[in-house]
Amino acid sequence: MNLAFRTQLVIGLLLLVVALALPRFVSVSDTMEGILYGLAIGTLFSAVIRRQRGASCDEVPRALGRRYMRELIPATIAYLVTLFLSVWLLKQVEIEWLRALLALLPVAPVGMIMRAIIRYIRDTDELQQKIELEAVSIATALVSLLYLSGGFLQTAKVIDIPAGVAMIWVFPLICAVYGLAKMVVSGRYK
Amino acid sequence: MRSHVRELREQLGWSQAALAERLGVSRQTVNAIETGKYDPSLPLAFRLARLFEKNIESIFIFEEQS
Repeated sequence: MNLAFRTQLVIGLLLLVVALALPRFVSVSDTMEGILYGLAIGTLFSAVIRRQRGASCDEVPRALGRRYMRELIPATIAYLVTLFLSVWLLKQVEIEWLRALLALLPVAPVGMIMRAIIRYIRDTDELQQKIELEAVSIATALVSLLYLSGGFLQTAKVIDIPAGVAMIWVFPLICAVYGLAKMVVSGRYK
Repeated sequence: MRSHVRELREQLGWSQAALAERLGVSRQTVNAIETGKYDPSLPLAFRLARLFEKNIESIFIFEEQS
């Protein structure tokens, strides 16, 4: 088992345990439960794909891979902690500016995750950068198309998705499609 | 683009990983160049030429696309 697979598997299982256990101890909204299950399933799905494919989509120097993980894992843990803290504290606080501050608490670690991804892409070699660029382009195009279609359907009152849920899912969806696109694109160079 | 990278590398008895390390790229990139699936940038082509002590034209075979 390679390091990336094991890390993803552990994070995915951890998220699943949190998603299963948390509603038993505290009151969690449907949105939050959905986010947790989505994150857990997404991470486990990504780990299984990585395992099935055998070789990784990324071939980068070991030191770069390690630095990426060193930056990504604490940021992901910080995100989970601030997410739960934010949801819990929002139930206790009524002051509007403080609610805004608490609601934005998980954004800082997501910024750290994005920084880790950008630093990783910047330091990969030219072929990997080409693969990443193509994968990111495909992901943003597909997710934009999905949201545009969703917007039209919502305007036509065919669907009714809460705005908060729709907005929260933009980044995870881009990440998921980016991962799948990267597998397809990198396959062309093998 | 076709190239003589594989032959030149094998003449020196280097593995793809060893060549990749000397060039500062991944093994995937060396493999993609050798199989003609990826055309290297000009700086990388120059680094290859310098490493093999050849001209770029004698390493890469340019074929006009019809």
